[in-house]
Amino acid sequence: MPAEDGQHMDAAPALAVSGLTRAFGVRKALDNVSFELPERAFLSIFGPNGAGKTTLVRILATLLAPTSGSARVLGLDAVQDVVELRRRIGLISHSPLLYPDLTAEENLLFFAEMYGIGEPQARVTELLEAVELDHRRLDLTRTFSRGMLQRLSIARALLHRPDVLFLDEPYSGLDPHAMDILDGLIGQIRGNHTFVMISHDLDKGLELCSHALILARGRVVLFEPREAIDERAFRETYRSTVGMGVA
Amino acid sequence: MELRTKEMLMSMGLYALLTMVVYFVALSQAGAAVDPRDIAAGLLWLAFLFTSMLGLNRSLVHEKDQGCLEALLLSPVDRPVIFFAKMVGNLVFLLVVEVITIPVFAFLFLQGESFSAAMLGQIALALVGGSVGIAGVGTLLATMSVNTSGKDFVLAMLFVPLIYPLLLGAVIATNAAILGAGAGAYWTGMAWIGGYDVIMLLASYGLYEFIVGA
Amino acid sequence: MALVVGGVLTLGAFIGVFFWAAVPNFGYVRTAGYTDSVRYQGEFEQTITEAGYLPNYIGFSATVETGNGAVTGTIASASDDAVTLSTDAGSEEVALADVTSAVVTGSEYSRPDWGQKIFYFHVPVAEISLLMFGVAAYFGIRFIMTRRREFDVQARVAMEATLLFITLTMVTGILWTRAAWGVWWDWEPRLTTYFIMTLLVAGYFVLRNSVEDEERRALYGAAFSVLGFIDAPISFFITRLIPSVHPVIEKGGLEGPMLVTFIVAQIGMLLVGYAFFRLRMGEVAVRDRIEHAKTLLEG
Repeated sequence: MPAEDGQHMDAAPALAVSGLTRAFGVRKALDNVSFELPERAFLSIFGPNGAGKTTLVRILATLLAPTSGSARVLGLDAVQDVVELRRRIGLISHSPLLYPDLTAEENLLFFAEMYGIGEPQARVTELLEAVELDHRRLDLTRTFSRGMLQRLSIARALLHRPDVLFLDEPYSGLDPHAMDILDGLIGQIRGNHTFVMISHDLDKGLELCSHALILARGRVVLFEPREAIDERAFRETYRSTVGMGVA
Repeated sequence: MELRTKEMLMSMGLYALLTMVVYFVALSQAGAAVDPRDIAAGLLWLAFLFTSMLGLNRSLVHEKDQGCLEALLLSPVDRPVIFFAKMVGNLVFLLVVEVITIPVFAFLFLQGESFSAAMLGQIALALVGGSVGIAGVGTLLATMSVNTSGKDFVLAMLFVPLIYPLLLGAVIATNAAILGAGAGAYWTGMAWIGGYDVIMLLASYGLYEFIVGA
Repeated sequence: MALVVGGVLTLGAFIGVFFWAAVPNFGYVRTAGYTDSVRYQGEFEQTITEAGYLPNYIGFSATVETGNGAVTGTIASASDDAVTLSTDAGSEEVALADVTSAVVTGSEYSRPDWGQKIFYFHVPVAEISLLMFGVAAYFGIRFIMTRRREFDVQARVAMEATLLFITLTMVTGILWTRAAWGVWWDWEPRLTTYFIMTLLVAGYFVLRNSVEDEERRALYGAAFSVLGFIDAPISFFITRLIPSVHPVIEKGGLEGPMLVTFIVAQIGMLLVGYAFFRLRMGEVAVRDRIEHAKTLLEG
């Protein structure tokens, strides 16, 4: 039986990926990917374009199905236990995933309803304040700048208090102020959340992570906990993969 | 949502009105030889068909742009529920446009006719039946077509042949209602609408969850 | 390979038989309404309201109503705009434009003419196109369930076959309509349905070509082909409902050599269809292997 509460079992991983493959015909987006991530870890995923990073995250976020292999998040299978799992994960992507014709508040309330959150108004207000968008709550999101959209997107992702957060290049396109807020937020909730972040920014990614994964051509090139990483060697490996392009 | 609703309705409504003008031009040379009552059903459904394609396209393109669909897919809501929600949304738009368009059409082309309550009821029923089918199949197809490079062209290409039986049934029924041609023709048309709706909606509903995640 | 040979042989055989078999002598009856599909073998009386169809009844007795009265006689000959009736008083020519209605009677309706030859070709291709469409929909469903690429490939090839056969159906259909009724087009159930089907098949390829991502392309194609296959029979039955005076063709019985020819034609066409499918699959498979090799080489 999948363990819901990690405390009862030794090192029940937040993520357990085994032999994960996603292929169509001969083209493989992901090829036999396996790794395990303990709870409350912060995983940074690096790799060149087309390496399969987004595919991996989308499978873990239940938006795609693998062709073979398994992926378990928080002990729940990403294919079988989809509905249950969705309640406990959040995704922040390049697109804001918000309705432009609704106000910030309406957007959050809408999603709060989708997730069945009790006392939605209070939670929404709380989050709006946390991302410093309270003053714009009644404005249509189509009027927001990229940084603000990203902040609101974070609020949306956190509505249902997910245990695992997936971030797909969250810092891209943000101005320094927004980046600071994002840093702050992540810092606040780091303690009891697991993170998976895709990043093209090597420095940022390494700075935040507790584990690092390099993907290229859908295969795992390197998967190490942060302590075991020698920075220079790591950068070498990374640079060599960047040339590897798409499968 | 309000703003967008108004905007959508406005554009769909105006589009339907524009169609009326084109009708006038198209029929102007026929003069007295053509009795508008005979072709009213056909003309109306023609207008509704194209208006609905416009509406379907716009509503889903809008959503795709911001990735809202993805957010919905992330949430623990069942896919089929999403289908129904969208379908009902589209259906309501279509019905509202129809309700506005018909009186206008009657005003422009059917002056001097009288309409009994029973007839209006029959027409209303045919409208609802046809619109349900259009909304259902249309939602599925539009979900696909927004992800293509042809967008509205692709939607039209896929939509028209698939909706043909429904359209025919709807025109038959509406025509029978308008001309007072008797219950036989009307109910035959309605039966077809009903059958089509059930079959195609089941199919769309079943296929939707495979389509929407892709 | 054997299949191709088999297919071609049978096709050849059927063409031979086609020319050998006597000009078909089967009766088909026009009914003005769609409510009965009775086959007339005996006496019949038919009311015709479309003058354009009169030339088809050469050799039958008819009473033709015109603006200035009625003419009764046997239809001896016809041209594009008039029919000539031999009456008791001699021949009388009636311009088609004047005809308001006519009643034709006879004891058995048979139409020997060349137009019928197309029938041997037309019906089999029409059937095969429908069959292929079904095959494509079947593979489409299997693809959706398993997401395995080979099903998509088979579905696509089946659709290509459908496209081929349905184009043939439309062309022969139009030719037959012209030969049989003197018009190039008629919105009758079969033609209309096949027209819709042609649009559906074309739509399938339009859809496929407009989607970038391979898997999505396959998925969308499959979904659409399933919907289309459900739609086709519905279209057929509903077109018969059109309340108009256009006659419907009902098939009569076939006897003797015609029947044999017909069956041979169907089998032959089936084999042609299958051969096409296999050939094309082979071609696609080879292409795939080349692609695969290329990919591996890049690795």
